[in-house]
Amino acid sequence: MDGGKFFGAFRASSGITDAVVLNHVPVGCNWGAAIFKTTSNQFDMRHACTVMHEREIVFGGEDALREALIRADELYDTPLLLVIAGDAPSIIGDDVEAVVNSVTLDAEVMWMEAAGFKGSMMDGYEEALLRLAGLMKESETIQGSVNLIGFSPDDFKVDADVKEIKQLLLDAGVEVNTVISKCSLEEFRRAPAAELNVVLGQGTLLAEQMKKELGLPYLKMDYPYGLDGTAHFVNAISEELGTGHEPEFDIEPFKRVYLYLHELYGTPVSVIGDFHAEAMANFLDGELGFNVEVSARNEDDYFAFEEEVRNSNTTILFGSSFEQNIAETLNIPLIRFCYPVFDNVCVYDDAPYAGFRGAVCLTEAIINTVMSYGGMNK
Amino acid sequence: MQTKMNGDINMQISEQLPDMANNNESVLQEIFRDRVFNGIRQGTTWQFHRYGINCKLSGSVYAVSEIEGAISLIHGPAGCAFHQRLTPRKMYAPIYNLPCTDLDENDVIYGGEDKLREKIGEVYHMFHPSLIAVLPTCVSGLVGDDVSGVITELDLPCDLLHVPSEGFAHRSRESLDMMMRDYAESWKDPSRSPAYDLRGCGHEEVMFSIVDQLMEEQEIAPNLVNIESFGRFTYGFRSELAEIKHIFGEMGVSVNLTLPTCTVEEIKRAPAAELNIVTRNLRWAERMKERFGNDYLRKWFFYFGFDGVEKFYHDAASKLGLDGEADAAIRKEKTQSLQELEKYQKIFARDDFAVSTQGFFFTPYLARIYATDLKLPIKYLCVDMQLLKALNISEETIEVMITNMQEAFEEWGLGFEVVTNPTLDEMSEIAKKVDHVLSDRITPPIYGKGGGVGVMDISATRYLLFRTGFSGIVEFGKYLAEKLHGERGKTYQNNREPIISRFNYDKIHYPMLDDNRCSASREMWSGMWSMKSEGCDNNGRR
Repeated sequence: MDGGKFFGAFRASSGITDAVVLNHVPVGCNWGAAIFKTTSNQFDMRHACTVMHEREIVFGGEDALREALIRADELYDTPLLLVIAGDAPSIIGDDVEAVVNSVTLDAEVMWMEAAGFKGSMMDGYEEALLRLAGLMKESETIQGSVNLIGFSPDDFKVDADVKEIKQLLLDAGVEVNTVISKCSLEEFRRAPAAELNVVLGQGTLLAEQMKKELGLPYLKMDYPYGLDGTAHFVNAISEELGTGHEPEFDIEPFKRVYLYLHELYGTPVSVIGDFHAEAMANFLDGELGFNVEVSARNEDDYFAFEEEVRNSNTTILFGSSFEQNIAETLNIPLIRFCYPVFDNVCVYDDAPYAGFRGAVCLTEAIINTVMSYGGMNK
Repeated sequence: MQTKMNGDINMQISEQLPDMANNNESVLQEIFRDRVFNGIRQGTTWQFHRYGINCKLSGSVYAVSEIEGAISLIHGPAGCAFHQRLTPRKMYAPIYNLPCTDLDENDVIYGGEDKLREKIGEVYHMFHPSLIAVLPTCVSGLVGDDVSGVITELDLPCDLLHVPSEGFAHRSRESLDMMMRDYAESWKDPSRSPAYDLRGCGHEEVMFSIVDQLMEEQEIAPNLVNIESFGRFTYGFRSELAEIKHIFGEMGVSVNLTLPTCTVEEIKRAPAAELNIVTRNLRWAERMKERFGNDYLRKWFFYFGFDGVEKFYHDAASKLGLDGEADAAIRKEKTQSLQELEKYQKIFARDDFAVSTQGFFFTPYLARIYATDLKLPIKYLCVDMQLLKALNISEETIEVMITNMQEAFEEWGLGFEVVTNPTLDEMSEIAKKVDHVLSDRITPPIYGKGGGVGVMDISATRYLLFRTGFSGIVEFGKYLAEKLHGERGKTYQNNREPIISRFNYDKIHYPMLDDNRCSASREMWSGMWSMKSEGCDNNGRR
């Protein structure tokens, strides 16, 4: 099931960590988009809402938006207000641009139209980044640096994964210039300073635009899960930038549980998620030796996925918190790895799922989940 | 596939019903269990209401999920169904199966009725539910789809329900302020209790729709009641319901069903009950009275405590024409509990107490339970009214509440000193003058800093005091006596410096952190929401 364009725009926009997102929507859209971000970050409150009510539906929401912009500018100490207009203002025809132009504020204001019914979550993410690209500044190129594109602040394990990937690239002589969208406004503005854009699953339109306008090349890479996946990720970037680094990893942690890994070899599993899903399936299949019986993306027919899993031999399911029902029904464990995860927290930023250390953490999570699940009689 | 999917819906529902508690656990164990496994999500979600609320659709999805064999069908874009699976009312059990018509741009232009018609059939064939509840969204509401028309023309072997759930038609902040003031004005005279409904919560719309569209004329059976179950949001509901049934049983009254936590067929037969016990909004019950002649009784705040519970059952008996006949049964239940409580009251009588509580619509009645039922020798009642500010309650209303609360205490002769919004220094002084400070909310971050005031936490067990039965107060007494003078756990509770006491909190909006972004977002929400109240100026002032 897909969250729609509004959710994608919200996730991309709220990744500018010192910006405030002003959702021009009724209350529910504002709540829904933000709630998944609060699970593992309960005080990062940088969103507000114009509270479109019946009155706005009848008379238009422009006054409410104007009032909200003025209030937000007074209340928040922020360099940037990002207005996202959702379904209702799109249908009633609010002139968001005119409202934004009618007010003079301390904060810079950028607006985007993202009616949920006009596209997928990925569409919303891609288009939001294209809008945000207008904030970028011409910058002197920093040799050996990259931008990582495709992150959202509510991705499961995002802080730990970014930290791990940055360190891996640093070890390879590559500096991460900007993480999009998980960066400050200033970092975002400086994105053109990178020598290379690395697109992880989404953000291709932004990379394409930056290539066209700035001559900045880009690489599309799978999310770096697993030893091989990570090595390939680092090698490809290193090769592109000519830093000539061969990453090394330690298989000692795996050796400590090698007998469990033997027993789990050939385990039938299923995977569903956003762009992370394919990379996860590759790790499970290629490195742990699991048999991936069903692999699906969020935008696929969810009920068909559920049916396929039921008819498969799946014994471990990989997905989001919303897959708990299937797991419970089939009496199998669920490993949560992608958005939205709202029933597990990730607050320790040294326990990634990405990168070499991430492969260890992920393997540990899988073994622990299986072993604590209850045995044959559960 | 179809059979399996249908089975899943029913399994999901039947698994949730008994699963919140084990059959053999005590009332206290149930409270703690609910507090931990439900509260970790529910309590946290409540805090996020400082920054926004979910829409009416959310409450509707929740209420429909309570109906066994029913499924919601969201008539709107996919995004609405995507996040509404996690409804704030049921964070512990997301609504996993939430089909949607997935309206797109084309449907916004040409209308989504054809898609809805097709999807209803698809949902029936996929899930074989007893009921499909069609929940329109902002988009289908704006487009003007005739949902009632579509479901009327369809002929399927299941019931169809239209619940107006458009997200832009939600309640305003003003409603809570007015309600709180009217509650305060009725504390001394409960007959003035306000007959308010919180408009647009979604739950209310489902209740009204099932009365209007599903219920069927029945012969009214004497001494039969329906109970509205807004309950699993309340900790310990399962055992509370068992006690209500028990007491009613002793009175010769039977419980027909809990609404909407029952089957569709049971809903249809709901008008067979002589009386509806209303726990939340009145509109559905008034509609039932109008359509089928069923009387109703609202569970008000003044039904708390021994006398309140007794009055509740007397009032129910009166509504059922059992005046006098049920007295003996009610008295017996009350007397038994009072006798059991006596031994704990004797233990409490040895010491002096201060109780820290929060100001809300039930506060005077809760204080009366502490002082009169439990007979705690209370010297100070410390009332924190700041929570009300966090809920957008006006200063004017808070003043009315403080004044009326004081007057109620004086009239009842409770004899303690009321301290409103005590500072840490004031609490320290109070603590020196009593043997024990009890707090029915989590206060270490406020009073525990630097080994400050030692407070006994009764935040979970206080839920025992809000029940429509006598046993909860006895259980509370037993628990408190054990905590005061028993040995269990004492070794570990003397030298606490909890991590949560090491943060800085907002002085008014506890437990919000003292953080500029949180403060700004809270104020932003508060201001914008206030603007939507009729009669308010642009600053949200009336």
